[in-house]
Amino acid sequence: MVFINSLILLGSLGLIFGTFLAFAAKKFEVKEDPRLKKIIEALPGVNCGACGYPGCEAFAKAVYKGDAPHDGCLPGKRQGVPDKIKAIMNEEA
Amino acid sequence: MQVFLIFMSAILVNNFVLQRFLGICPFLGVSKKIDTAAGMSLAVIFVMVLASIITWLLNGLLVLMGLEFLKTIVFILVIASLVQFVEIFLKKTAPALYEALGIFLPLITTNCAILGLALLNIQNNYTLIETIFNALGAGFGFGLALILFAGIREQMEFADIPKPFQGLAGTLITAGILSMAFVGFSGMIKL
Repeated sequence: MVFINSLILLGSLGLIFGTFLAFAAKKFEVKEDPRLKKIIEALPGVNCGACGYPGCEAFAKAVYKGDAPHDGCLPGKRQGVPDKIKAIMNEEA
Repeated sequence: MQVFLIFMSAILVNNFVLQRFLGICPFLGVSKKIDTAAGMSLAVIFVMVLASIITWLLNGLLVLMGLEFLKTIVFILVIASLVQFVEIFLKKTAPALYEALGIFLPLITTNCAILGLALLNIQNNYTLIETIFNALGAGFGFGLALILFAGIREQMEFADIPKPFQGLAGTLITAGILSMAFVGFSGMIKL
């Protein structure tokens, strides 16, 4: 009985909070440039910090703003990440 | 009168940061500037009050169902959802503050001050009104400690500090001295 009760309780709580958050995320959505998302996707995503920024997302934002060089990602250099970023930045710019 | 005593005691006597040593991570991390410290304090007050109310109500449900052992995981679930909401909300309404808080905003989720508060409310058998005032007091106490400390650190930027004490070392020593100052309040309010 305890087992089933805990399942029901945690399941319904998770469902309620999940629905609430999904609703809130839709309501307070922030429109971002699709290029920023593409840069984040092109990066390796290991958050190594070798570029000097805390995490790949922060580096992507800096590149997008023009504060960081497009070849600042060290682990991605061999996989051609700098070229990818350059191509993304030149899109519809 | 009782709620006022609880409120004051949570701010001064049992200050969460300086007396109970909960929530030290954001205390050291976000206290470089008064602006971000104030923003962080507001976020923490908001999460603390809402989390306390919801966890108090949920605790009643848990006791009713005989599932008190699930307290911790249920409370963490509530806190995590609230923090997510605050994050979404801030990203939309105050992007500058969102950037300044950075990683410390999602880290409120695992901030022991908030879980500690929720558990202490239950442990002390507070009523809902007392819980709300305890949460407000704990939040303001956190804010008071954070903003006081941020003010001190802003002054320290311009001070001529010997090299071994620059940076984190000096910060930690200052935090210790500030905590010692708050020991002066201990025993002032007995509940």
